[in-house]
Amino acid sequence: MSASPLEKIRNIGITAHIDAGKTTTTERILYYTGVSHKIGEVHEGNTTTDYMDQERERGITITSAAVTCEWKDHRINIIDTPGHIDFNIEVNRSLRVLDGAVFIIEGVAGVQPQSETNWRLADRYNVPRIIFINKLDRTGADFFRAFDTLKEKLDIVALPLQLPIGIEDGFVGVVDLVEMKAIVWEGGELGAKYHDEPIPADLAEQAKEHRQNLLDTALSVDDAAMEEYFEHGDVEVATLKRCIKAGTIAGAFRPVLCGTAFKNKGVQPLLDAVLDYLPSPTDVPGIAIAAEEGEDESEAVHDRRRIKADPAAPFAGLAFKIINDKYGTLTFVRVYAGTLKSGDTVQNTTKDHRERIGRMFQMHADKRAEIKEVSAGDIAAFVGLKDTATGDTLASADDPVVLERMAFPVPVIDISVEPKTKESVEKMSLGLQKLAGEDPSLRLRTDQETGQTILSGMGELHLEIIIDRLRREYNVDANIGAPQVAYRETIGKPHTEIYTHKKQSGGSGQYAEVKIAFEPQERNAGIVFENKVVGGSVPKEYIPAVEKGIRVQADTGVLAGFPTVDFKYTLLDGKYHDVDSSALAFEIAAKACFRDGMKKASPMILEPIMDVEVTTPQDHVGDVVGDLNRRRGMIQNQESSGSTVMVRAHVPLKEMFGYISDLRSMTKGRASFTMQFHHYDPVPRNIADEIMTKSA
Amino acid sequence: MQAPRLRWMRGRRAEEAGETRTLEWVGCDDAGEAIARVVRVLGPLWTGWRSYRAVALDEDGRVIELRPGEPPDGAGWLACVGGQVVGRAALPLQAVRTAEAALSPE
Ligand SMILES: Nc1nc2c(ncn2[C@@H]2O[C@H](COP(=O)(O)OP(=O)(O)OP(=O)(O)O)[C@@H](O)[C@H]2O)c(=O)[nH]1
Ligand SMILES: [Mg+2]
Repeated sequence: MSASPLEKIRNIGITAHIDAGKTTTTERILYYTGVSHKIGEVHEGNTTTDYMDQERERGITITSAAVTCEWKDHRINIIDTPGHIDFNIEVNRSLRVLDGAVFIIEGVAGVQPQSETNWRLADRYNVPRIIFINKLDRTGADFFRAFDTLKEKLDIVALPLQLPIGIEDGFVGVVDLVEMKAIVWEGGELGAKYHDEPIPADLAEQAKEHRQNLLDTALSVDDAAMEEYFEHGDVEVATLKRCIKAGTIAGAFRPVLCGTAFKNKGVQPLLDAVLDYLPSPTDVPGIAIAAEEGEDESEAVHDRRRIKADPAAPFAGLAFKIINDKYGTLTFVRVYAGTLKSGDTVQNTTKDHRERIGRMFQMHADKRAEIKEVSAGDIAAFVGLKDTATGDTLASADDPVVLERMAFPVPVIDISVEPKTKESVEKMSLGLQKLAGEDPSLRLRTDQETGQTILSGMGELHLEIIIDRLRREYNVDANIGAPQVAYRETIGKPHTEIYTHKKQSGGSGQYAEVKIAFEPQERNAGIVFENKVVGGSVPKEYIPAVEKGIRVQADTGVLAGFPTVDFKYTLLDGKYHDVDSSALAFEIAAKACFRDGMKKASPMILEPIMDVEVTTPQDHVGDVVGDLNRRRGMIQNQESSGSTVMVRAHVPLKEMFGYISDLRSMTKGRASFTMQFHHYDPVPRNIADEIMTKSA
Repeated sequence: MQAPRLRWMRGRRAEEAGETRTLEWVGCDDAGEAIARVVRVLGPLWTGWRSYRAVALDEDGRVIELRPGEPPDGAGWLACVGGQVVGRAALPLQAVRTAEAALSPE
């Protein structure tokens, strides 16, 4: 594929709740743009973007896959993302590096809880979006009802650019409100053939009304367009498109299109809309550089310097995804500025070391085409990077910027893993490290007391897939423990502790003394360290040993062995001995100081509280709410639409194990629920006792 | 689509986030006389302990009428004919139609 000028590139994502039809839509796009010569189907396990075994077997998307295609002389890089909440990190990191997104909802159910989560994620990164209402061929589909849920649930100005012609079995095409014409698909040819027609008479009045609404809304973003309208009572198609694009990028309104991916209708106009309304890399303000240490991340973002898409500027790119396969490690990088050739050297400015770029590829799901250079605005995969993780910045030494960081979701479920045979201990640890390197929502730690390996992830499905990949990709069969809540520990009040480590046994002794103040921090502050030692009472070279001791020991909290978070420790003073002191002695002293000190600083256990949304028929609301209360839930709100009620509550994750089967039997299978992590809260006394007894 | 009856022109403008946006459209009759306006409601504006929305009533914004309270749900534009507010709308083109309808009721 030839290099395209920047204005002719679109980097877009396809995102939605689970099963909305993202992969199905992507598959059509690849067919119509000529990348593939036959359409794969999710249920047949032969789509291009669901290429992992687990994806094909389960019919769901697990990892985001990048594909590239050409449409009307433009290049579109598309990332198909998963809908299941357990794989939210994939949506997160994709939205972070994309310039625009197609947001799919279903024509039958409209906006669903998971759609809302992903919508807010796109809000966070300010991603311009167009909405596609899919599955209009299904029984019970209703464009206008689905459309209404956009306004109700997402609280947005949704702007239809199309109206459906017919519905369910009779859905044949769309009215194009921009050009005021009908687009009708001919049967056969897998939807590749379609033609324009005059708008059917029975839709003329409705089309006129929506066209006026389109003008009212779109032109309001552009004074010159308003004047053109005052002059002529209408505007040129080009003017209208310009206004729709401006409003879409600014987020003033969200254009809505419709169709059925599965029955091959509506996808080509969606591609046209991607070119017409979603931004090219030059249409967006550019990525902001990261906040300085201590600076308020949210407030200052407008004032921070932005990196503009300029191929001639010094290189700057963000690593957003890492895959290990049989050829080695592939690092996906979104290039924001500059041009890079294979063999060049860049700076990893996040970690402060140099990286040499080996080969470069443009990716088509699991296939690849080698390229020799990549420039601003594009996405490529690099081979041969030594130590670059998801979220790291690669930049030219001429302008070593650090780009705005990525936010990672918090893993809430723990399992212990153990290889089935002693021989595979090494292999398992290597495999898990590789998998954790690919997936920032997966954490790996070793319990200091039991020596067990603990994996923390987003949910049971997430961890199940990881164990399965360990088996298939790294040939390690592992035993796993029952899923556990990922508790955390923290402290409730400040305390200062002095600890002296002294050992005199024949030869050289060990000596170190530290005086450390421990203080509580607000939630999500992590672990903060300050060094206030004056006059070298703890020599400089031993300070890292103190830090290491605390960090290692913090992984195993003093109450029940869970990682300790959200506290600050300040090294105030200490003592050393010329001969007997060593880094090791200071590390041991710091560990012991932590163990003794934390116990006196009102330690407590924190538990993850989930945001739970239950959709239930009216006649079971009482049971559902009563049950949530018994699970220590706090009802947040309750909304009814028609005969169903949506109950939203904050419930400790511990109480949610096995909820799905209880909910089913309580409502005869008619209710459903979703949940996601919301925040950490201290556990009540009796439950803390229970957890501590269990861990003892 | 029917063309507007009046000749609508840009009125006052304001700098907003580095961009100049029109806050007011003025509708003139055939003689060039300004007989209607649609005006964007600005605010909120705090004086003392109350919050107001401000509507300019003259060309240069010297005469300002303060209206307490929020405009009803998204109705950020006022349609005015001869100094009288004849309606509100969420979008300027809707306010233009409201003003023109008030001028020549059919
Ligand atoms: N009737 C109908 N079915 C559709 C349509 N689009 C997708 N489907 C079906 O819906 C199911 C889910 O489609 P996918 O494309 O896998 O959905 P997805 O959004 O990629 O799902 P995840 O990646 O798992 O979140 C499949 O069985 C599709 O065949 C449509 O327009 N009409
Ligand atoms: Mg999918």
